Amino acid sequence: MMVDPYYRHVGRPEIRVDARDKVTGRALYVHDLELPGMLYARVLHSPHAHAEIVSIDKSAAEALPGVKAVLTGQELPYLLGLYMIDKPILARRKVRYQGESVAAVAAVDERTAEKALSLIRVEYRPLPAVLSVDEALEARVLVHEDINELDYVKGVFFPGPDSNIASWNRTIKGDLRKGFAAADLVVENELTLPQVAHVPLETHVAIAQADPYTDRVTIWTSTQSPFAVRNLVARAFGVSRRDITVMVPYVGGGFGGKAGIHLEPLAMVLSRACKGRPVKVQATREEEFNQLPVRAGMRGRVKTGVTKDGKITAMEIYFDWDGGAYADYGVNVGRAATYSGAGPYEIPNIELHSRTLYTNKVYSTAYRGFGHLETHWIVERQMDLVAQRLGMDPYEFRMKNILRDGSITISGERINAWSGRVDHCLEAVAREIGWTGYRSEAERQAAFQTGKARGKGIACLHKAPAMPTNTATAAIMQLDEEGNVRVLLGAVDMGQGVYTIMGQVAAEILDMPLEKVKVICESNTDANPYDWQTVASKYAFMGGNAVIRCAEDLLRQLKEVASRALHCPVEELTHGEEKIYHIQHRDKALTYRQLALGYAFGNGNAIGGPIIAHGHYIAEGLTNLDADGQGLPALDWTYGAHGVEIEIDVETGEIRVLKMASAFDVGKALNRKLCEGQIIGGAVQGLGSALVEGYKFTPDGRLLNPSFTDNKIPTAKDIPDQIVPILVENPQVDGPFGARGLGEHPMISVPSVVANAVYDALGINFYELPLSPERVALAIARHSDPANAGCNDPSNASAGRDNPDASGRHAASPRGETA
Amino acid sequence: MLGNFDYVKPKTLTEALEYLDRHGPESKLMAGGTDLLVLVRRNLAMPAHLVDVKGIAETGRLEFIPGQGLFIGASVTVNEVAGSEAVKERYPALAQAAGSLASHQLRNRATLVGNICNASPGADLAPPLLVFEAVVHMVSLLGSRMVPVAEFFTGVKKTVLRPEEMVIGVSLPEPPPGDRSLYLKQARIKGHDLGIVGVAARLTGEKRFCLAMSAVAPTPIRLFQLEQTLNAQPLSPALAERAGEEARRWIHPISDVRSSAEYRTHVAGVLVKRAVARLISGEGTYDA
Repeated sequence: MMVDPYYRHVGRPEIRVDARDKVTGRALYVHDLELPGMLYARVLHSPHAHAEIVSIDKSAAEALPGVKAVLTGQELPYLLGLYMIDKPILARRKVRYQGESVAAVAAVDERTAEKALSLIRVEYRPLPAVLSVDEALEARVLVHEDINELDYVKGVFFPGPDSNIASWNRTIKGDLRKGFAAADLVVENELTLPQVAHVPLETHVAIAQADPYTDRVTIWTSTQSPFAVRNLVARAFGVSRRDITVMVPYVGGGFGGKAGIHLEPLAMVLSRACKGRPVKVQATREEEFNQLPVRAGMRGRVKTGVTKDGKITAMEIYFDWDGGAYADYGVNVGRAATYSGAGPYEIPNIELHSRTLYTNKVYSTAYRGFGHLETHWIVERQMDLVAQRLGMDPYEFRMKNILRDGSITISGERINAWSGRVDHCLEAVAREIGWTGYRSEAERQAAFQTGKARGKGIACLHKAPAMPTNTATAAIMQLDEEGNVRVLLGAVDMGQGVYTIMGQVAAEILDMPLEKVKVICESNTDANPYDWQTVASKYAFMGGNAVIRCAEDLLRQLKEVASRALHCPVEELTHGEEKIYHIQHRDKALTYRQLALGYAFGNGNAIGGPIIAHGHYIAEGLTNLDADGQGLPALDWTYGAHGVEIEIDVETGEIRVLKMASAFDVGKALNRKLCEGQIIGGAVQGLGSALVEGYKFTPDGRLLNPSFTDNKIPTAKDIPDQIVPILVENPQVDGPFGARGLGEHPMISVPSVVANAVYDALGINFYELPLSPERVALAIARHSDPANAGCNDPSNASAGRDNPDASGRHAASPRGETA
Repeated sequence: MLGNFDYVKPKTLTEALEYLDRHGPESKLMAGGTDLLVLVRRNLAMPAHLVDVKGIAETGRLEFIPGQGLFIGASVTVNEVAGSEAVKERYPALAQAAGSLASHQLRNRATLVGNICNASPGADLAPPLLVFEAVVHMVSLLGSRMVPVAEFFTGVKKTVLRPEEMVIGVSLPEPPPGDRSLYLKQARIKGHDLGIVGVAARLTGEKRFCLAMSAVAPTPIRLFQLEQTLNAQPLSPALAERAGEEARRWIHPISDVRSSAEYRTHVAGVLVKRAVARLISGEGTYDA
């Protein structure tokens, strides 16, 4: 493994600091915690996708010995929400999805709580449900009948009056009409993908202990967002942040699903109802699938205008998100699509509409990639579909339009020489998989006869953190009497390795052994410094800069004391090997240890004191998007590309991934092993979305696969034969040591690259996910059936060329090609 | 989630049968519990009594006796079956089906007898038992009876087992030398998953085909008519193609969350074709 000789720690493949605790089972998670007098909660769920709650009788449940509280929405006049304030803690007056929490019981044990649930009588009056984006857009039925009265973050989100549109965000740049007029070819397509679950190993769990005499509450929770939980609990209940303590021990995976606020308010109101006894609310696996939020489904309609030589002249895109019953992060996912949703290409004229729609399904939230896997499913397939129509190599077509130094993004940002290089990533993966363009129809036929078709594909991607323009973080360091450094951060390590790389960054700046830097692996909002939340692949960048500044502050303080102790100016002091020393007379030196708690002269006089340093970082120079989606929302762009070679069993439809090469311009790999771990994990998670995963509902909106029996994710037997992570390092000048974020990116464009390879192998285009054996095999069977030869069945939405829906907006548009 | 039942673990067969005689209709027999406890947790089964058979010595027997055949007791785990040298040598289809069931951890608990008593249409271990013409041994206080596995299943999750009866094991006749067999399964993922379709195929030393499938009808089925058609033809690659085509006519799969009927039908044909072709080519042969 390559290691930069210039750095002592940065870039080295250090083993993660939490590894030993986790593999030996000593790491404690909230599920492990038991407090004296603790009660256990269970939740009653709605059996209906959409229904009025006529009455709830909880008297029998309350009378059951051992039951300490039974709550329903009626007692809880609170509405929560990150951007749209739309979600009750327990359903009030009506239920909006099957699985929604209707009542909750706290009892002395789970068994009693479970028994009490069975005694609660709820009478529902079923209502017609909104179960597709089309039904949502029709707005004959409203998921939120009170949408006009809901509070929301104005100027950033745009709910539609008397509609199911939680937010309609748009980007308008250039002149769409002129752009299409300049095109030699216009290609239109529609692609969709279903809702998908995060599936963290650790399900959501929260324990709350509310003080019965004051507003004080302590919450232990499995969250990515301790400070956001503090903030949102304060807002929802109208209490001071002073009174809220959020504790986060180890977290067993989040993937975005544990960002924001989830079970904490319920635990809190139950604890209040139980006179302050701690109450634990832990999700079962079924609740994880069916009650807690998911990644939204989406339908994308895209229309691209190109010249004969392959320059894109215009794009029109509609992203319609099947967002479920509550807006949560969903509306911000929709908003992020407006500045990145056309892919890493220069598009001179664009109109992009991103509509987050309310439907009567389990609601959506952030999911690793924050909408980019979904938007790139549309646009990175479209790049191949357009190239096919042009008769051009999709590699060449991408390269002709790719963002480079001087390009302007769709939100009006100028890309510069230090922004990273998507072309380098695409080049690297194409080389790694031996890309030479699509195979010929004759080659396809020959391979098909063997029963195993092989194909290669490529796809690009980009993503910047989606966050407020003033997002901030901070770090604190303290020295002890041995000269060890304790680092306190606001971030949560749910598996990405942040504590390890921040230790490396600190040890690098302080020039000391890694073993002497202890990053505290627990978050406590009363002790740790502020961090907005651990999301958006932004912590390596922002936290790294804060830790660098913190370490520099520590050195400055050490030098100040050393300057007095050594009787020399601060300017003539430098540091190295855990010492502060004179730049010329190097024996004039004091160790960190001698200065850590204050310095004592020979006569006993003391100066200085315990050294405590801090550093912070706030996103600087970002601007809010205007009504046309123009502005500077991106702290840093991480570019990437995937190349894949697959083999398809043409009879069973099974896709085997022979090789997957994934390149990312990380600027500087702070820890090569962790970077490669992120890439491998993300690639496999992306393959889950590509090949296997997806929610299935009955016609009346009941989730059919709320368990591992039928909600499959890839196992060790399903991973590619070979995954080649490639780290491209064009430094980001304002990043820590040049680094950019990488956490989410590896799963973006994985479904696209697989479907592109499927086309190469079979000559069949797919427009829906997942590419399950069933979908692939049946499409092949139809394709090879002589009865279908030469025509594409318009009723077959999963395999056919250029298949815009013949209804609605597209009815007025020319299908496929225009002169 | 937290079912309310009495758990008993009898030490002798008589004790178990007496218990069943008293509480049979409200009882569920349990070996590995890998199917049953999932149902109990979801409140889909609410037995008042759970009778664990693992304490009964006779149920632990896994034995091959030359000249007689194989006996698999009710407590024998799927991993024990998959790992048995006698099974791997003489009943390859059974060893392969056992190795394909769920995950290694579950196979350490799950039992072969439990798999067939659960009577899922998709039971992985039913097709190989069908092609080896296994016999199910049932006992009650009134005596014992033996039923061919082809007559054991009566419907979705239904068998001929009476409430006061229990299955103590399954026996398989010894296949003569030259016997070939294999098991093919299609699932959604390559790892731990339920089968969309499972096919056990056997070609006896006398060149007689036995074919059985799971997940294509209300019960696991033996394809007797198809076997007759095949047995009337000379062995050739064209026979495999024909087997695949014809197999689709004899099955009645449903559409569910795991697969459409269309794909089940399609892939059933593919697997039968492949199984027959591989048997003809000599794969899965047992040479004594």
